[in-house]
Amino acid sequence: MEDIDAMFSDLLGEMDLLTQSLEQGTVPSEPLPTIKKELNFSIGFTDLNESLHELEDNDLDALMADLVADLNATEEKLAAEIQGLDKPSLPPPDLPAKGPGALPAPSGSSPSPRNSTGSSTVTPPPASATSPLPPPPPQTTKPTKEEMEAQAKADKIKLALEKLKEAKVKKLVVKVLMNDGSSKTLMVDERQTVREVLDNLFEKTHCDCNVDWSLCETNHELQLERTFEDHENLVEPLLAWTRDSENKVLFQERKAKFEVFKNPQNFYLWKKDKKTLKDMKDKDKEILIKENFSGTSIIVPDLEGVLYLKEDSKKSWKQRLFQLRASGIYYVPKGKTKSSRDLVCFVQFDNVNVYFGKDVRNRYKAPTDFCFVLKHPQIQKESQYIKYLCCDDAWTLNLWMTGIRIAKYGALLYENFKTAEKKAASSSSWTNRSTPSSSSSSTPSPTIKAKAPSQANGHAPKLQPGPVPQDFGDLPPPPLDDFLPPPPPDPALPPQPPSLLSKPAAPQRHPPDSFPLPPLGLDSLPPPPPPPPLSDSESPPDFLPPPPPNAGFGSLPPPPAPVDSLPPPPPPAAFKGVSQSLPPPPPDPHFLPPPPPDPVFTGAGAPPPPPPPPPPAPAAATPRAAGRPAGSVKKMPPAPPKRTTPTLQGGGGGGGGDFMSELMLAMRKRTDQ
Amino acid sequence: MAVWDLSVTVEDLGSDAPPVTISVTSDLHVGGVIVKLVEKTQIKRDWSDHALWWDQKQRWLLRTAWTLEKYGIHADARLVFIPQHKPLKLGLPNGITVRLRACFSNPVFQTVMGICRMLNIRHPEELSLLRPVEEKKKKKDKDLTKEIYDLTEVPLSSVSRPCLYNGMPAHFADSEKMEVIYKMLSVTQPPPAPEVITKQYRPASVVDKAHINGRWLDSSRSLMQQGIQENDRLWLRFKYYSFYDLDPKYDMVRLTQIYEQARWAILLEDIDCTEEEMMLFGALQYHISKVSQSEPQNLSSNAAMDDLDSALQCLEVKMEGESSSATDLLENMTAPELNDYLKIFRPKRLTLKGYKQYWFKFQDTSISYFKSKEESIGEPIQQINLKGCEVAPDVNMAAQKFLIRLLIPAPEGMNEVYLRCENEQQYAQWMAGCRLASKGKSLADSSFQSEIQSIRSFLAMQKTNSGSSAAASDESINTHSLVSPRYHKKYKPKQLTPRILDAYQNVAQLSLTDALMRFLQIWQALPDFGLSYVVVRFKGSRKDEVLGIAPNRLIRIDLGVGDVVKTWRYNNMKQWNVNWDIRQVAIEFEGNVNIAFSCVTADCKIVHEFIGGYIFMSTRSREKSDTLNEELFHKLTGGHEAL
Repeated sequence: MEDIDAMFSDLLGEMDLLTQSLEQGTVPSEPLPTIKKELNFSIGFTDLNESLHELEDNDLDALMADLVADLNATEEKLAAEIQGLDKPSLPPPDLPAKGPGALPAPSGSSPSPRNSTGSSTVTPPPASATSPLPPPPPQTTKPTKEEMEAQAKADKIKLALEKLKEAKVKKLVVKVLMNDGSSKTLMVDERQTVREVLDNLFEKTHCDCNVDWSLCETNHELQLERTFEDHENLVEPLLAWTRDSENKVLFQERKAKFEVFKNPQNFYLWKKDKKTLKDMKDKDKEILIKENFSGTSIIVPDLEGVLYLKEDSKKSWKQRLFQLRASGIYYVPKGKTKSSRDLVCFVQFDNVNVYFGKDVRNRYKAPTDFCFVLKHPQIQKESQYIKYLCCDDAWTLNLWMTGIRIAKYGALLYENFKTAEKKAASSSSWTNRSTPSSSSSSTPSPTIKAKAPSQANGHAPKLQPGPVPQDFGDLPPPPLDDFLPPPPPDPALPPQPPSLLSKPAAPQRHPPDSFPLPPLGLDSLPPPPPPPPLSDSESPPDFLPPPPPNAGFGSLPPPPAPVDSLPPPPPPAAFKGVSQSLPPPPPDPHFLPPPPPDPVFTGAGAPPPPPPPPPPAPAAATPRAAGRPAGSVKKMPPAPPKRTTPTLQGGGGGGGGDFMSELMLAMRKRTDQ
Repeated sequence: MAVWDLSVTVEDLGSDAPPVTISVTSDLHVGGVIVKLVEKTQIKRDWSDHALWWDQKQRWLLRTAWTLEKYGIHADARLVFIPQHKPLKLGLPNGITVRLRACFSNPVFQTVMGICRMLNIRHPEELSLLRPVEEKKKKKDKDLTKEIYDLTEVPLSSVSRPCLYNGMPAHFADSEKMEVIYKMLSVTQPPPAPEVITKQYRPASVVDKAHINGRWLDSSRSLMQQGIQENDRLWLRFKYYSFYDLDPKYDMVRLTQIYEQARWAILLEDIDCTEEEMMLFGALQYHISKVSQSEPQNLSSNAAMDDLDSALQCLEVKMEGESSSATDLLENMTAPELNDYLKIFRPKRLTLKGYKQYWFKFQDTSISYFKSKEESIGEPIQQINLKGCEVAPDVNMAAQKFLIRLLIPAPEGMNEVYLRCENEQQYAQWMAGCRLASKGKSLADSSFQSEIQSIRSFLAMQKTNSGSSAAASDESINTHSLVSPRYHKKYKPKQLTPRILDAYQNVAQLSLTDALMRFLQIWQALPDFGLSYVVVRFKGSRKDEVLGIAPNRLIRIDLGVGDVVKTWRYNNMKQWNVNWDIRQVAIEFEGNVNIAFSCVTADCKIVHEFIGGYIFMSTRSREKSDTLNEELFHKLTGGHEAL
């Protein structure tokens, strides 16, 4: 029990520090320097500082916008939690001294200072920043002191445990290359799917959101390329990259990604003549999709043909008759029939991904340019375990690569497509409604900020309500008066947050929750994009095999991807949703500070997940190789010295502060210029 | 009107009894004949199920309002007065025979509906009856020992509207005997002895496979009309491989029987699969038989019970979340570890070094090792993360060899590492840990203990198998029971065990229903799934070819090449006709594609029914799923009977 107390006091200390930095940050007039002094961040990922070195200034801007959004949301959540926690007494408004020494008493006494955090951040007018929260209504029944203490302690423990969990979430800063050569930098948390990252990018890029937009990874060393599937978590494959890799993440339209759902006949009836395929009626396409993707079982296209196989560790290629089956790729041994029982298994798909191989003619004396590669995602360098296969033409290559994806991912692919389609439909209807002139630039930045936390953020920290960095410099600052209705006394603190703390709350699954309500008085601006019709709750029944009879049989084979990505602990979104649905809509904190005239960074964030009791080895400060080529994607491998495997330790309390100060430094450098 | 004598044989009077003669006029309707007949016999009993069968014309006189004249019956007609429902021995997909009363007077389609209602199988349109393959009667006593489950006592009236009781249709809840029958229907059978598989007929070619399809009964005519006698043996099988709305909640019998049919199709190589697939099927069969033995029959199809169950479960989870003390939670968060001395070997290195012993620590998803236990506080010599790695067993119980082969991905490629354990116990734990870690699960995962258990039971299997292959106790299964005879020859049971175990690790955590569903999914994903073959002769062709009929298409297989030469999909089909005189099927597809063929191994009515049946299956939809559109089915499959 003492452990817990100690741990919890750690947490509280952390929170206090954050509160302070926050307090300072709220004073809008004196932004940077103060904040810098007060910095005490800790973020649950490592090596961010390293990657930050390589960020260019504009990246920093964008990243900062994300971070701030993150912080805002978590801030609110924290406020809510605290509100729920501190039933017994109202803390004094003044803050304890900063620094690790000034921890509140571990148990029994209520963790006072954090209340002011809540009030200061959510109360709109800057003037009130330092004023304490109005006291909560006096309790009608006074519980005995013991009960209160016990209750408070239990709550604290729960809170602490949750923080621990959240602190373990890994995050990466990812630089995504756009089609036009520019790039966007995003913070991606390990629970985010590629779909979520794409949605994020849609908001940042004003592209048409069609279903072909994809994230791709390129492997420079092996000259490979792969389109991520929408259901995949982005962080995991990126963690496999070596630390000095020149691999990239691209944001591109890839026709091949969902081609099978647009023209299924080309894959399932590929033997038919071209004209029949071209003239295929929509109704027949639908039937094909239904047959192959909506039944109990996913049917893999019936593929068979001669391919060239690169011989192990040689530069020679030999021809073999290959066959694709749901269970893997097989080949027909010499002198045997094509009957199933004679087939020899070449590869099964559990542990390999399919890549497009570039430049194979030069590199490996390949017979054609149409090469697909099968390898374990972790393999990043030349190895005998990489399998190269060449097709005669581009179309055959497409057939095989798509067929392999169907065999590997099955129903998930179709779900991805349907989700992408809905997204595309909803965003196109939105753009149609909005005036063409302003639509692109006016994607309101609040949307991004509000959305990001729901996805990216697992921390419960603090925010800095300093001026909001504007990603969209050309967007005129929204007229403040319009947004700020007379501040409700305590808008962001719903009366009963404790319930939100309990684990089973429906958490992050509804991104729409996190869209702010369109601010009042914004009629002239296009509204934020309508929330994408959420798929994970409604679509699965359509293409999943019938659900098992009762809850006892929990493990359906292919769980829909989105569900997978749901993190267990209830994240901030839940609270946010509640607060926003309260009438009158509380002014979103994001809008509060008047945006600075020019898009210069003035604010700073202070996210602080309390470090878990045993902080992992401080991953910070591994000096980076100096002459490293400026890879476009920042890979943040773990820094531990003994590194057999690229594990990313979660919860790097130690490294986080460094990251943030790096960030601050970088930004200051920039403002100084 | 003239009065004449009609003689009717009343079966219930005994086979030797002379026909009963009654005086009738031609305008007497059939109902009147029956009344007279019953009066004459002077037997007091329930005659309601009885009807008149016209022997010469092989037809039932079921329309009681029709007059004798209308039926064309004269004094020379030999009529028989018999019950419409008679006992039938029905071979189920699981190989078990039940005796039940089936309708001999309605079209087989309706007879099957009745049978399915009694057996609690939804969507009877997917099933039909076929004449069994004659068994070679080498051992006559064998037939006698075969247990027949008797369902003839079930009153037909109670079956017509089944209501559920204890998750079973009421007629199964009547007595213990009936409950046993329901269990037989809804629980998978244990794996058959290898000899049983070997002894059964296995089709050797597509043509062999085609012959079975000549045996389907005509669904538009009655059993009686097709020469089926009381107590004859018939098989009940899924005929259309298009399983609509398969819902384990309501379909336990159906699901079980589909699984059994699929399992036998694979064991008897009725459908081809690769060796890898066979091993996976074997692993699933092993798992299913294990789980269905251990899992109590809580598979009640009672919806209310299910809701209650899940509600309780929810509650439980909640309580857990709320009530368990934080210390518990914290304890749960500190992951368990394994610590032990093991031997490691890296075959990739070209050194001649053998296994070296180190102190190993298994934590989360990684293995680290140290020089000795004492040094385990410091830095490990190496740490290996097993996430995404391949794990293969290399075990020989007789030689006491317990090896875990790991193939560990790294940026440079895959590293091979062998871990050698001392004994069974150690092996089971570390192997289980490796398996979980390879899937990214830590030792804290709830499946850790069951994984250990399943590894041990597989080891036990090898133990008995290595002794004598025949000594299969209840505990272990001869792995030859899980694969087709081809692999009996190829592998000894103990060679098969590790291969099946290998496949087993991917399915070991499935619940019974999920495992059944997985089995069916893999089966349905086989390239040849759903094909029913018929040998045909295409118009203008001189050689026999094979027509494959699938749920969505027809394929033409050239027997010489053994390959699919043409595919036609039903959704391109404009119409199909049967010329009943020359017994030829003609089909027209879009784009002026016309084909015509005569059928060699099956009557063209069977082919016609298959095509029409599949088209009927594709018209089923959720909105109208509850009522079976019998009329449409008859229209699509009836042929000239339907006209």
